[in-house]
Amino acid sequence: MVFRRGQRVEVFRKSSDEGWESYMDEYVGAHGIITDPDTSINDPDQLVEVSLEGKGTHRLPQDCLRPLVE
Amino acid sequence: MPDSICPVTALIRQLEETLHAGRMANPWNRRIIEEILDLLKDVAWGRAGADHLPAIKELAGSLRDEPLSTAGVETRRQVLAALAEHDEVFRSHVATHNCATRDCVKLAPAPCQMACPAGIDVPTYVSLIGLGRDAEAIEVIRRDNPFPWVCGLVCTRPCEFMCVRGRIDTPVSIKFLKAFAAERALSERRYKNPPQEPDKGQKVCVIGAGPGGLSAAYYLALKGYAVRVIEALPVSGGMIMVGIPRYRLPREVIDREVAMLQELGVEFRFNTRFGSDVTLADLKAEGFAAFFFAIGCHSAYKMGMPGEGDFPQVLDAIDILKRVALGDRTVPGKKAVIIGGGNVAIDAARTCLRLGSEEVTIAYRRTRSEMPADEEEVEQAEEEGVRLAFLTIPTGLTGVAGRLTGLQCLRAELVRKEGSSRMSPVPIADSDFVMAADVVIGAIGQRVDNSCMTGLQGLEWTRRSTIQVNMVTMETSIPGIFAAGDAVTGPATVIEAIGGGKRAADSIDRHLCGIPQPKMPPVPVRRGRVEYFEIPASTKMVLKRPEMPLLNIDRRRTTYQQVELGYSENDVREEARRCLRCDICLRCGKCVEVCRDKMGVNALQLGYFDFDHPVKTDFRITAERCITCGACAANCPTGAMQIEDREGERILSLCGTILNRQKLLFCDKCGATLGPARYLDFIRKKTGAVGPVSTDRRICDACARKESAKVNVDIMPV
Repeated sequence: MVFRRGQRVEVFRKSSDEGWESYMDEYVGAHGIITDPDTSINDPDQLVEVSLEGKGTHRLPQDCLRPLVE
Repeated sequence: MPDSICPVTALIRQLEETLHAGRMANPWNRRIIEEILDLLKDVAWGRAGADHLPAIKELAGSLRDEPLSTAGVETRRQVLAALAEHDEVFRSHVATHNCATRDCVKLAPAPCQMACPAGIDVPTYVSLIGLGRDAEAIEVIRRDNPFPWVCGLVCTRPCEFMCVRGRIDTPVSIKFLKAFAAERALSERRYKNPPQEPDKGQKVCVIGAGPGGLSAAYYLALKGYAVRVIEALPVSGGMIMVGIPRYRLPREVIDREVAMLQELGVEFRFNTRFGSDVTLADLKAEGFAAFFFAIGCHSAYKMGMPGEGDFPQVLDAIDILKRVALGDRTVPGKKAVIIGGGNVAIDAARTCLRLGSEEVTIAYRRTRSEMPADEEEVEQAEEEGVRLAFLTIPTGLTGVAGRLTGLQCLRAELVRKEGSSRMSPVPIADSDFVMAADVVIGAIGQRVDNSCMTGLQGLEWTRRSTIQVNMVTMETSIPGIFAAGDAVTGPATVIEAIGGGKRAADSIDRHLCGIPQPKMPPVPVRRGRVEYFEIPASTKMVLKRPEMPLLNIDRRRTTYQQVELGYSENDVREEARRCLRCDICLRCGKCVEVCRDKMGVNALQLGYFDFDHPVKTDFRITAERCITCGACAANCPTGAMQIEDREGERILSLCGTILNRQKLLFCDKCGATLGPARYLDFIRKKTGAVGPVSTDRRICDACARKESAKVNVDIMPV
C-alpha cells in the first residue's frame, strides 16, 4: 500500500517489525491520519508518521496500517 | 483495572462506590476517604500540586481496620497499590495537566497538541496570538520547541491534519500563525530565553547541530548543564540549513534562533567531525558525562543505473542543496532532470531553476497522487516552470566523451502485483526513450552516514541502518549515550527531530541525576488555559483560512528570496479566532444528546464531533431552534458550553462562540428574571395540560403562588 499524506488509516494489527515497541500495542484499533509518508521513494519497508486520534504522533511500520474507506 | 481507563479516574470511581455502598462503617475512615477523594479530584481536574500525591499516600496509610469487615484494609491496599502501580500516570497528571486517555475530562488534551511530536500546547498559543499577545505565545511554544520561527516556515504540521476545524471547512493555519508571532516577537525584542536552572556542574556533549541536536542542547542548557555542540559543517542548523533551500527558510531565521542557544551558554565547535577530529575517549577525558548523537541522514542513496559513475554530471540532490546553501551558485546544467518524487526532489528542481537551468524536469515512476512531496510544494514548483514527467522509469544514462547528454527511460503503468495491495510501476515494453539532459540529479532517499560512529563498540543499529534506541528515553544500547532525529527515525520531519531532542534532554537529565527513566512516551504538557474570546456564530462560520501571499513569479524563478510572504496582522488575528478551543471542549457530544433526546429541541448541529464520520456543522442553526433552556450547559462536563444572563439577555456560548442570545423577560410584579419568551413558550406548552394561565401578565412562580393563594382565600372561605 502506498500511503499518501492526509490519508485516514487504522492501526489494524501489531507489527512484527523491529520498529514496533510494546507500548504501541494499545494503538491497535486506533484511527489516524498519515502526516509524513515515506518522503522519497514510497518504500513499503520504511516507517511512516501517523497522527493517531488521542494517542499522539508516531512513526509506525506500514504493515500494521490499512486505509479507512472515505 | 483495564488499561484503557485512566487510573486516576478509576480510583475515584472505586472510592466513590465504596462510600455509596456503605461498606465503611467507621466514621474516621469515611472522612479519610472523602479527603482522599477531594485530593484525587484535584489531580483529575488539574489543580494538584507537588504535595498532593504524598498526602494521598499518608491519608491512605491512616485508614483503620473496620470492626466487622475488611473494607478498611482493602481500601488502604487499593489506594496504595494504584499509586505504586501507576505512579508515572499520577505524577504526569500533576505535572502536565493532561490526561491522555481523556477520562479526566477537564484534562483531555486537544487533538492538535497530541498530534505534535514535540507536544506544543497549540490551543493556548493560538489563543494568545488571537489576543495579540505574540511574545507570550512564543514563550508557550518554546517550552516545547526552541525554534518557533523555523517551524512556522517549514513544519510538516501534523497539528493541522488533526485540527478539528478541518472537519468543518479547513484547518486553522497553525503553522503560519506561529511564524508571524515569532517574527513579531523578535522584531519587538520580546523574544526571550526563559531563566536557566542553577549550574549542575556536569557537561553534556551533543554531536550534530541539526534540529534534534539543537533542541537537546537548548533544554539541557536550561536544566543547568554545560553543553558543547560538535558539528562537521561550518554552520549550525544541519538539514534545515543545508537541506532546505533559502527561498523556503531564510538563513537569518535559523541564525537568530540558534543565537538564543548561544545566549544560554551553549558552546559550538564547527568543522569538527566526530570520529576523526574528536573521539568519544577524547570527550570523556574532557569530562563529558553524557552524549547525544543527532547526526542526521546526510548520505544519498545511489540510483544504481548503468553509467552512474561514468559522468561527473550525475549528482545527488542533497549534495547540490548543501553546496548551494554554503554559497556555491554554479549552474548545474541547462537541462536538468531530477529523479524522485519527494520534497528533496522538488527542492532540488526549484533550486536548479533559481541557479539558471533552462529546463527542469522531475522524473517520477508513479503518478501525481502517489507523489510523497507536499502538494503545495509541487504546485509551487509547477508554477515556477518545473515539468513533471510521471510514470517514467529511468534505466540508464547516455553521453558522449564523458559528457552526459541524456537519461534513458521507459514509460510505465501502475499494476497491482499478486499478493500486494500496493500499485507498482511496471515498464511498458518497447516504450524506451531518451530524455535530453546535461545534468541528472538523484533524489531517491537518504541514509545515515555511520562512518563516524564505527568506533562506538556495542552500539546497535536497526535493519534500516539507523541507530537503535528506546523510543521512550532515546537511549541507545550504550548506557549514557542517547540519540534522536533522522539518525534514529530515518529521513523524517524537523518537528520529530525537535521532539526527540527534547525527550532525550529529559532522559539525559534523569540519567545524570539517577532518576528512573519513564516507561511510556511523555504526555504533552498543558501550558495554560487562556480565556476564550467571544465571537458570534455567524462570524465563526464565515471566517475563512487566508491565502498565503507569494513572491512574484519572476523573482521566484531567479532569486532565493522567501516565496511565502506571510500573513498580514489582521489575517493572523482573524485566523486565530477560527480555533474551536479543543483544549476545553472534548467533543463528548453530551450537549447534542441532551438537546436532541431529552429536550426534543435538536438545536445543536455540531457535526465535527466525530473523527471518522464528520457531518455538516453550522453554529448558526442553534439560534433558529434553541430555547436557551441551559440543559446542554448543565450537562457539559468541562464548562465549554455556558449559559449566562447578561445585560437583559440570555446568552448560550460554546468556547466563546455565541450560539444564541435571547432577550430576557421579567416578572411584571417583582422584576425577577423569567427567561426568554421562547423558553417560556416551551415550558407553557409542556405544562399547558396541568393548568391554563389565567392572564396575559408575565409573573414569576412566587408571585403566581401569592396571587392564587389570595384568590383561593377570597373564593373559598374557611
